[in-house]
Amino acid sequence: MSVFNSCNKLVSTVFKGSVLLRDTGVFRGVCSINRHQCHSLRLPRHLTLTSASCLQRPHVFTCHVDSRRCYSEVFGERQEESPETNSHSTSHSQKTSNSFTLDVLVSLLRQENAVDMCVIKVPDQIKYAEYFIVVSGVSPRHLRAMALYAVKVYKFLKKDGDPNVRIEGKDTDEWMCIDFGKIVVHFMLPETRDEYELEKLWTLRNYDEQLRSIPAEKLPEDFIYDVDVTK
Amino acid sequence: MCFLSADPELVVMTFPHLSRSLTGLIAGSAPVFHHRAFSVTAVAAAIQKMTRVRVVDNSSLGNTPHHRPPRVIHVYTKNGVGKVGDTVLLAIKGQKKKALIVGHKMPGDRMTPRFDSNNVVLIENNGNPTGTRIKVPIPTHLRKLEGDYSKVLAIACSFV
Repeated sequence: MSVFNSCNKLVSTVFKGSVLLRDTGVFRGVCSINRHQCHSLRLPRHLTLTSASCLQRPHVFTCHVDSRRCYSEVFGERQEESPETNSHSTSHSQKTSNSFTLDVLVSLLRQENAVDMCVIKVPDQIKYAEYFIVVSGVSPRHLRAMALYAVKVYKFLKKDGDPNVRIEGKDTDEWMCIDFGKIVVHFMLPETRDEYELEKLWTLRNYDEQLRSIPAEKLPEDFIYDVDVTK
Repeated sequence: MCFLSADPELVVMTFPHLSRSLTGLIAGSAPVFHHRAFSVTAVAAAIQKMTRVRVVDNSSLGNTPHHRPPRVIHVYTKNGVGKVGDTVLLAIKGQKKKALIVGHKMPGDRMTPRFDSNNVVLIENNGNPTGTRIKVPIPTHLRKLEGDYSKVLAIACSFV
């Protein structure tokens, strides 16, 4: 019962009109990593922030920051009046309450006071997932609570055909991971996050610094090509 | 001892399987490559005890040179055979370390990649990878297998 109530409350906050806040939160999370490499996007005037961050390189992929979605949503909401937004929001909540989408996950992570959330849109060439989320927590207990809550909401919102989702790294205390099929979420402590730097890897795919610092492999001097012997 | 002064052709005739490998080493002769019309490989088995493996992540333990290659000393499966996605125990630089198999020379299921070396990623006891990047391509069918592979997939740089 309480799960049902909390989930409904969660879903209605998605469309309560805090679009700008949500975007600034996500921008802040992304900006903290990529500040030295950004140049500003063409954003609408009310959304200019100190460091808008999307990397625009030919084969490097833009950090997905809800920016495209917020264009239409913000402009749409400006034109609507308050009585219309109520009916709009109820019909929207009926539609979104049935599926566990990225919006639901991001808003539940914000509700859980996730620190430094980073949502990265994985390009189609990499056939792994569609969205890659990295989230920090205050303590191991916080991470575990966020992970368990995410799984709980997923189980509530999933339909019969969807597979169940497991938490990987349950016995670690610094890095937990959930694979929701289209979305992959990593819950890490800030120290672990700095050590692995997953956001850098998934935004700068081949231009990553740690990748470059791996020395190129050299064959040993006594290497003889094609020495495989057949009987 | 007696090979030092032997005629290279004579050596090659008596040991035909060395025709390609030793011709470069015998002093004064150029490598002679006898080309076949088809490719051959040695018999390839999956990973078991005492196989030498190649560590493919950027951990210091896997990349510092040692006079012995890392060997598997235990495979954590019911039979002692390790395929992609299985955990093994390695002996590296005089210490024991767990590792995850990410590719082997033995052909597996249809439409899964086969690698030219037995690749392995070092893992801690709690499942976290020891290295931070993996340059070698990682098979994507790891995702469908039962097990905790998302962390290894998250630090992989290319997929196959």
